[in-house]
Amino acid sequence: MAVAARNKKSARRRQLEAAINYPIDWLEERSGLVGGIKYFIFRKVPGDTNWFHTLGSATLTAFLVQALTGAILAMYYKPDPQSAYQSIQHITNDITLGWLVRGMHKWGASVFIILMFFHMARVFLFGAYKYPRELNWIIGVMLLAIGMLEGFTGYLLPWDQTAYWATVVGINLNGTAPFLGPFLADFLRGGAEIGGETISRFYAMHMLLIPGLIFALIGLHLYLVIRLGVTSPPWSSAAAGSEAAGEEPRTNGRSGLTQPAARSGWRRNGGEG
Amino acid sequence: MASTDDWRRQFTKYKEDVKERGKPFYPYAMFHDTVMSLVVVSVIIGVTCVWYFTSGEDPSSCGSGHSCLLGPRYSDPADPATTNFVPRPDWYFYFLFYLLRIFKWPDSVILGTVGIPTIALIIAFMLPFFDRRMERRLTRRPVAVIGAILVVLSMGVLTYKGATAHEALASEVVGAVPTWAQREGFAGNAEAIAGAKIFASSGCTACHTYLGTGSSNQGAPDLSAEGSKGRDKQFFTSYIRDPSKFGNNVMPKFGFSDQQLGQLAAFLLASKGPK
Amino acid sequence: MTEPQHGDRPHLPGPSLYPIAFAAGVACILVGLIVNPKIIVPIGAVIAILFGFLWARDATEEFRGEPVHAIEPESGGPPESTDAPAIPANQGEDAMPAPEPGERFPRNRFLEGATLGLGAVIGGLVTVPAVGFMIVPAFKGQGYPKVDLGPLENFTEGRWFVTKFFMHPGSDGEVSHRTAYIRNNGQLDGEPSFTIISNRCAHLGCPVQPNGPVQDNQKKEIDGKAGQRITMIPVIPAGGYGCPCHGGQYDVEGNRVSGPPTRGLDRYEFSVVDGHLILGKPYSVTRVDGEGKTARIHKYKLAGPGQHVDGWEQILYPLQPPH
Repeated sequence: MAVAARNKKSARRRQLEAAINYPIDWLEERSGLVGGIKYFIFRKVPGDTNWFHTLGSATLTAFLVQALTGAILAMYYKPDPQSAYQSIQHITNDITLGWLVRGMHKWGASVFIILMFFHMARVFLFGAYKYPRELNWIIGVMLLAIGMLEGFTGYLLPWDQTAYWATVVGINLNGTAPFLGPFLADFLRGGAEIGGETISRFYAMHMLLIPGLIFALIGLHLYLVIRLGVTSPPWSSAAAGSEAAGEEPRTNGRSGLTQPAARSGWRRNGGEG
Repeated sequence: MASTDDWRRQFTKYKEDVKERGKPFYPYAMFHDTVMSLVVVSVIIGVTCVWYFTSGEDPSSCGSGHSCLLGPRYSDPADPATTNFVPRPDWYFYFLFYLLRIFKWPDSVILGTVGIPTIALIIAFMLPFFDRRMERRLTRRPVAVIGAILVVLSMGVLTYKGATAHEALASEVVGAVPTWAQREGFAGNAEAIAGAKIFASSGCTACHTYLGTGSSNQGAPDLSAEGSKGRDKQFFTSYIRDPSKFGNNVMPKFGFSDQQLGQLAAFLLASKGPK
Repeated sequence: MTEPQHGDRPHLPGPSLYPIAFAAGVACILVGLIVNPKIIVPIGAVIAILFGFLWARDATEEFRGEPVHAIEPESGGPPESTDAPAIPANQGEDAMPAPEPGERFPRNRFLEGATLGLGAVIGGLVTVPAVGFMIVPAFKGQGYPKVDLGPLENFTEGRWFVTKFFMHPGSDGEVSHRTAYIRNNGQLDGEPSFTIISNRCAHLGCPVQPNGPVQDNQKKEIDGKAGQRITMIPVIPAGGYGCPCHGGQYDVEGNRVSGPPTRGLDRYEFSVVDGHLILGKPYSVTRVDGEGKTARIHKYKLAGPGQHVDGWEQILYPLQPPH
């Protein structure tokens, strides 16, 4: 009885699997996408990666939160000096869940910037910018700079006192750059003085130009991460690529300080690899 | 300095090591990533809730009625003609903001505005080309570790200093009046408090200091204990009305009304030094 | 994988540069249409026609029977790696695999040049107008209007007023709200004299505040023409002016006293028309000697905050956009 039941179940199961697999196979045959995703998901990473390695994907998550909430905020926000402030008040106080989406965008910006710095600190301390990952470090620094520019252009949009004066100072900072500074400042303002032109061009940059650039650079960044792999923690006794990898952990005095963490880290995270 | 061949050999070994002993990204590493992303999203939503539910529709309700733990929902509408607003950047630009305050000589302005940020950015870009050693262990990278600690420390100090920076401006000094009243012991004297507010809002602290607030330009005296010098109210009133009659040609005539003069005199008389 | 054998050919500046130069000419015409139609457009046209002609001549060389020096059959024979197993098409990394033995797709320089050149033309046609549209308007027609600040009698002689006004009343609303500190200095040689100081800090543009009592209870509001509204508040800036951002301090004439400002506070030109005070263009000031109507003002063309107009640092800011 039991055997028959199991067989019957597995037949149904096989049927179900075939039904699920058919569209996946169809897609794979015509695009190769499934194979790509499988490669991405099941690729091997060093056995001793740990929580520090999650900062990059956390930054990506924060950016995706910004992209989604920002796109939806654009449905209600009005980028001109006469109505920007009122539309922000309307979003925050009146529209259903407007406070949540605007708040997530406002605070998500801070979280995004902090995470970029944390991620950068992790890469620095792990020495993960060294050969062959130099290019990815440079792309990361570009993302940091462009991310701060995104924060700067977005900060003006509520059109309140803090926004306005922070932008005045920010534009004038650029204006003190030698030779081209005065022109850069006029370009950012869209004229000699801050006005309606300024808010609409900041809006366009914040909404379209800079996020497009960030998406492209994140794509490159991820491509290089997948191509080159992630770096083991430097304290790991079994760091992938190190001379000592795979041998018994050394117990000489000099690295004694970092040894216990390394050993437990290997057992905890990498043992199954 | 490792040769390119060393690097290549190391990377080949890295790839072999990962292939032989690595773990699949899904689900081992991705689990950590997912948990961390959940933490990130939760923090964003949590902070948003605190921000929203401790603030009100009116930015001026902060401090009276709403605690505004994380600031108001928005400040007042932009007014390019303001004469009492004190601009401050978002917190993550505090370090840059304080950097600008450090370079307080006209010749050095450009260092704070473009010089240091540009140098920092160039160093960041060039880092992989400065540091070409293969060593990755922190104990063997003293320069990198000390550099990182210094950068974090200086960013922290600059951010803290930026967050606590104050000016002796009328619009900022008024907030100190209750503290003055408490420390000088005239909290019960309504006339003196009114005088203190005039003192604070009239820019007196541009030249005078009072309990550490203000700047001592042009040799103006500290007034924290002015009332303990044996002068009477009449003296203060006529002195402030026209300092030149007392041989003071530096302090200007302010044109206060008699009532304002009386309140100022009461304030100075009540200033017997901090208790 | 072996590279196609073409290393032994001399690398002359190939005809493929002509289309690119042609595209540059077209781009030049487009920029010229925006910037200066009389001079730049003809230059662009000459470049485009010249290189267009060269390109066309080069492209038709083959048909005109001249020796074709550009195309050499790549007869290096099959590469040595023929015995290597063929790489499956789905695993190769090269975008353009080496030709199979016996197959002949010689590098056709005309096609290469034309593809790149046409691409450059398309890119130029799309980006040059768009980028021009983004940048140029910020520098065209910029200026400061004349603002009527009301009758002279409103400005009591010898007193300072915080004067708020709209630079562009009506059109832009609050964005063009501005503040100036104005003092009527009385008559100088039979002409009225005013000191009009901008509230824009010469460090980074924060709004400076008067160090002295602002007499809000004596505030006056005057409605002008076309939605203009002048607000006048008497003020005694006894301690000069202070910047709330980075601690710059100025004396009552706007001279820098301490802190980072690179010069004194900017001032406005003024004129008197029909007994009204008319605000003119702003200008930059390094220093004011003396005070009131007899002050000697060291006047410069308006520069942005933080920019030096004197001293050796002025070489860092040689040009200002047209205002």
